[in-house]
Amino acid sequence: MGEQPNTPGTTPATAQGTDDPYGVRKDLDDPFTLVIVWIAVLGLALVNVGLSFAIGPTKFTLPLQLMIGFVQAGLVAYYFMHLKQGDKVVILTALSSLFWMGILFVLFLSDYMTRHIIVGG
Amino acid sequence: MSVAVSHAAPVAAPPPPEPEPAKTNYLNVSHTIWSWLFTVDHKRIGILYLVSITVFFIAGGIAAGVVRLNLLSPNGAIVTEDAYNRAFTAHGVMMLFFFLIPAVPAVLGNFFIPMMIGTKDLAFPKLNLASWYVFIIGAALAIWSVLAGGIDTGWTLYPPYSTRASQSNVIPGVVGVFISGFSSIMTGLNIMVTIHKMRAPGMTWSRLPLFVWSLYATSLIQLLATPVIAITLLLLTVERAWGVGIFDPALGGDPLLFQHLFWFYSHPAVYIMILPGMGVISEVLTCFSRKNIFGYHAVAWSSMGIAVVGFLLWAHHMFVAGISFYAALLFSLLSMLVAVPSAIKVFNWTATLYRGSITFQAPMLFALGFVVLFTIGGLTGLYLATLGTDIHLHDTYFVVAHFHFVMVGGMVMGYFAGLHYWWPKMTGRMYSDWWSRVAAAIIIVGFFLTFIPQFWIGYHGMPRRYPNYPDKFHVFNVMSTAGSSILGLGYLLPAFYLTLSLFYGKKATANPWSATGLEWQTPSPPTVHNFDSTPVVVCGPYEYAIGVDQMGRGLPEPPGPGGAEGPEGRVGITGPPGPMKKETEVVG
Repeated sequence: MGEQPNTPGTTPATAQGTDDPYGVRKDLDDPFTLVIVWIAVLGLALVNVGLSFAIGPTKFTLPLQLMIGFVQAGLVAYYFMHLKQGDKVVILTALSSLFWMGILFVLFLSDYMTRHIIVGG
Repeated sequence: MSVAVSHAAPVAAPPPPEPEPAKTNYLNVSHTIWSWLFTVDHKRIGILYLVSITVFFIAGGIAAGVVRLNLLSPNGAIVTEDAYNRAFTAHGVMMLFFFLIPAVPAVLGNFFIPMMIGTKDLAFPKLNLASWYVFIIGAALAIWSVLAGGIDTGWTLYPPYSTRASQSNVIPGVVGVFISGFSSIMTGLNIMVTIHKMRAPGMTWSRLPLFVWSLYATSLIQLLATPVIAITLLLLTVERAWGVGIFDPALGGDPLLFQHLFWFYSHPAVYIMILPGMGVISEVLTCFSRKNIFGYHAVAWSSMGIAVVGFLLWAHHMFVAGISFYAALLFSLLSMLVAVPSAIKVFNWTATLYRGSITFQAPMLFALGFVVLFTIGGLTGLYLATLGTDIHLHDTYFVVAHFHFVMVGGMVMGYFAGLHYWWPKMTGRMYSDWWSRVAAAIIIVGFFLTFIPQFWIGYHGMPRRYPNYPDKFHVFNVMSTAGSSILGLGYLLPAFYLTLSLFYGKKATANPWSATGLEWQTPSPPTVHNFDSTPVVVCGPYEYAIGVDQMGRGLPEPPGPGGAEGPEGRVGITGPPGPMKKETEVVG
């Protein structure tokens, strides 16, 4: 929250690596890179589906599939949501969503992991 | 060398000359239907939302009327039991998703956030227009689902009933809500980026009006919680449409998983609804008591506190659903935490009123109604957050009364306070002072008569959503229905006098309430780009004590209690005319 408001009549100095004076970066990835990433995300989805048929419901299936999903989400965030070009505030904002997801999972688990405990048992 | 020291009280700068009414403003710049449907002006988009949500308020109100009329008789007075289920579901879905959530952020937020921070538009004007279209598409689907027979699950859509047994239009209604959620995300994103990036020079975070702070906190919830309900509703649709076992135990699913995911959004959504109303109240109470806000930073950060803590307590809706006893204990404790920032707000508002030169125009009456009704709603919430008492009160009319005190007594009153406060700026016209005060009084009386009996019947065991009840609850249900008729009349009155004001109302000055915010430094109605030149902010948002606006200029004489202008209009006011000189906290 530390950024300063703009001053009237003046244009802020262009930030490093930015061709827009207000900090909106234009040096985005070229379409070729984005297509490659898109194919990679789709490929990982196919791998995920294939894995579930190939190894079936073992105790490793879920962690493995979640890990693949995590990589997919990371690719989408890094390339398509432009975290690659984002400044610290944008990256912090993105990370805060992980924090909120943490709240969801931790408090979820407070129910699921203690349901079997009998009160007074 | 001698220095002359004056002990005279500082004299505020004279008020700026009344700006010439602009020949071209945002309303008359163009009159074609296309100029409205393709506008990217945040003010016009605010008006588009205003018209849209008014339709839903009326439709949701009609559904509520059906529910209340049916409860006039212990065995159902006017509709079948199945139709009754569809009526209360329609009421809940329309009021929550299509009125309460967009009401203040999308109408008043859209219109006033750029003006309050001194810029010409929101950060993404086209996204703003897109949000309205997305809202309308979602709303159209929801309307279609209601008109084509309705939904009978209740607005909470609990499976397995909603996915396995319900014979109603669950999927179109759910998809409608799913789509409208994106509109909410777009609005939140737009407001958040605007506040970060587009503040006028001098508009530091400590000088932001509290309405802006509250909408910032609201946007945070909209951004972080709405995706969760989106994915939950999608899973619900997948289970209902294709029989994939996710929530239905007969298919290997877990119904409590739905409740966890649903309330992870829907409890914070309560704060999406109430936080903007709280922001309005901070603006109105200061203006009509001619006082600086007491505890600016406490009120500002309590909004953020509510936004964050609001994510930690959802499972108090599930105490009797079969969750773990230890989790219930934890959520009961966490639920108590949200009382802290809420109480901070109420205490600071009360301290703001203390020794103020209070006048009772309609916005102030609605704001005072908010404070009283929200406090009752909040305190009765403690009984529901307490594990032991909730077991008795869960799913009874006590819950219905509690959340209506918060949502209707709080949020709707806040919305009406804001609408009446900013109406002269939005339209350039003053409405009837007398009729508006009558409407506020009728609404408050009708509200108490409607919902106080529901606390009693709920405490004595009448479950919510039941069309039948024992004879001993008859008189209380009749009272509640009578109250709702008065409430309905109260809500109809503004529709008349606000509409009439557009044609016959006196022309509003730029700053009819003598308020301090930047939005009042523009003509009424504002020009297309709000400000002729970028305003420079030099002080805090509520400098009523020294009588200056945020640009450091003096304030015009405030109107009297009856709306009369000039010093003679202030007969009967407890304080002297002009700026108040009192001990107060100066912000900024």
